[in-house]
Amino acid sequence: MTKPVIEVEALAKSFGDNEVLKDITEKVEPGQVIVVIGPSGGGKSTFLRCLNLLETPTSGKVAFEGQDLTTLDTKSVNSLREKMGMVFQGFNLFPNMTVLENIKLAPMKVKGTDDAAATKRAHELLQRVGLDDHADAFPTSLSGGQAQRVAIARALAMDPKVMLFDEPTSALDPEMVGEVLNVMQELAKEGMTMVVVTHEMGFAKSVGDRIWFMADGYIQENNTPENFFAHPETERAKDFLSKILM
Amino acid sequence: MKKKYGLLLAMIVALFMLVVPMSTQHAQAATDDSLEKIQKKGVLVMGTSPDYPPYEFQATVNGKSTVVGMDVKIGKKVAKDLGVKLKIKSMSFDSLLVALQTGKVDMIISGMNPTPARRKNVDFTHTYYQGGYDIVINKTDTAKYKNKDSFSGGTLGAQTGTTQYNAAKKQTKNTSVKGMTSQSDLILALQSHKLDGVAMEKPSAEAYVSNNKQLAMIPSDFNMSSSATSSAIAFRKGSTSLVNKVNVTVDQIKKDKLVKKDYLPAAGKYLKTNTVNTSMGHYWKAFLTGIEYTLIITVCSVFFGFIIGIILALARMAKGGVLKTALRWLATAYVEFIRGTPMMVQVMFVYFGLGLFVNLPALTSGIIAISLNSGAYVAEYIRGGINSVDDGQTEAARSLGMSNGKTMRYVVLPQALKNIWPSLGNEFITLIKDSSIVSIIGVTELIYQSNIVRSDTYRGVAPIVVIMVLYFILTFTASRILNYFERKMQHD
Repeated sequence: MTKPVIEVEALAKSFGDNEVLKDITEKVEPGQVIVVIGPSGGGKSTFLRCLNLLETPTSGKVAFEGQDLTTLDTKSVNSLREKMGMVFQGFNLFPNMTVLENIKLAPMKVKGTDDAAATKRAHELLQRVGLDDHADAFPTSLSGGQAQRVAIARALAMDPKVMLFDEPTSALDPEMVGEVLNVMQELAKEGMTMVVVTHEMGFAKSVGDRIWFMADGYIQENNTPENFFAHPETERAKDFLSKILM
Repeated sequence: MKKKYGLLLAMIVALFMLVVPMSTQHAQAATDDSLEKIQKKGVLVMGTSPDYPPYEFQATVNGKSTVVGMDVKIGKKVAKDLGVKLKIKSMSFDSLLVALQTGKVDMIISGMNPTPARRKNVDFTHTYYQGGYDIVINKTDTAKYKNKDSFSGGTLGAQTGTTQYNAAKKQTKNTSVKGMTSQSDLILALQSHKLDGVAMEKPSAEAYVSNNKQLAMIPSDFNMSSSATSSAIAFRKGSTSLVNKVNVTVDQIKKDKLVKKDYLPAAGKYLKTNTVNTSMGHYWKAFLTGIEYTLIITVCSVFFGFIIGIILALARMAKGGVLKTALRWLATAYVEFIRGTPMMVQVMFVYFGLGLFVNLPALTSGIIAISLNSGAYVAEYIRGGINSVDDGQTEAARSLGMSNGKTMRYVVLPQALKNIWPSLGNEFITLIKDSSIVSIIGVTELIYQSNIVRSDTYRGVAPIVVIMVLYFILTFTASRILNYFERKMQHD
């Protein structure tokens, strides 16, 4: 049996009196694509950010490849984070650097990759997301779809074991959603382990291996896409699905 | 609550700063190895305020601006008799006593009167010269004024910190007394009718009147004890052995009438040659030195101020354990304290206060003080700049495995810097102008140099105009350069 990539045990997170995550225990196996869906304010983004410790859990355990992140010192957490790429809703590209520099920065400063190797790798990744001709552009000149594809390439540059996507298409104009989802689908096909928080039900259905339905600080249902969309088990899920247009 | 603690901390720091120098001062006065010390050192540092002809003033000797005058002659004789070299340090008259007490100079010869009040703080030698006071007036007013009592309803001027200033205050009625730090400023004010008369020592008055046809002098008739009209050399309190030794020299000077026979005529010679060429172009070297030092001070202070600013800003943003909280409070207290005290006081504190522990040259003290001051302001700009960078930037960098430090250095600070560039530019330009404050401790930057040129040429306005233009050229060039870099940083 292979070791799970991510293991979460009794995870809870509060902001002051506000309990956002209550008690979450789940596993992500290698190569799995987990799609986290659920109503807004249900704690999806907080959950994702707890996985790479951008948010510090109030209690519980978050393990990456068997190592509990919550017990590690800052330095070890930093080095484990590079193995968990993250893509944000707002892209968060560095506006003062070109596309190429955005991608090269972390490999060079964190891994100590030399400039030539980092540049070569960056161009490969840009070709993969179809943006090599924009290598010298600054982020502000890119469309939302292009910016998000660069952000994906930037995360991939660290050769992560798992990719975390925090509503990657929510800030995009509708016509640009497709180009980003296509890149993600390619990634999934290549066997990348992924945890995706999204509202794209089509993507969830066609690419997801498991659906985690999250509401009120709990993962209410962990199901296959086929079963979840056809026969949701919980009332909370039924209610949610009835409210969204399919 | 937090704010209160910050204030408390600031007060403790201030108290510490006050107490420490005082305690060491007492310790210094306890032993008398003053003579030995000087002879061992081989150098006698004389403090003087060279704007008081013919006692001491700046003159161009062989193309170099030098302090000359009868006091310098006396200083040389004293040093020669002690078998040591003489070094002259110039500063404003007000600063002299502090400089002596804090060990910046070994003695003061600056036409200083051995008044009882001063005797409490320093030791004086026998007097080497018996002077008196006159009042310099505009020649056109000769009929109007007879002596100190004629100025009812008018304004008398005198150099601040001098005996004649106190006399003018105490011994006149219905007369307002205005103090200025330099004699040449007073003369200028007199000529532009801001003052009706200037009280000064006889020899000085004679020198001014003989060099300026529009001036005249009248007797002051101040009621003075002889100690108030005589000049003596000041040494640190408790330097009895040194004072006794120097008294031998002073007595000899008096016995041989060296001042009248030799020293005053020699000083007068400089006064005459001094007024031949008073064009500003003739003094280009003096102004060049001024620009050089102004730039040295500004560039160094900007550099160190920026580094201090970054450190302070990061300290102010530290969050976490007790240590970090203490660090944050300390940085906050520092910033508040620096912003709440005048830069001039800070400059004097570094030069005279820290001077008790380490002997810092004036230029270094000036750079340290201005860097420390600028750092506090820059810290606030940087803090604002860091806060202006979107949190998403930090998150993106951290998610890529970058440490806190690397995130700051490669992602946040470059963007913060771009955002605050205009404010930093302002700070740089302000520093070019504020560097003028170090003139009070005798750094030869633009203001100081212009004062020298003014007392050298007896021209009041021209040097001011020259440095005004020079300052503008400096600041304007600086702002052009800053704009160039600002444009280069604009990508969006």
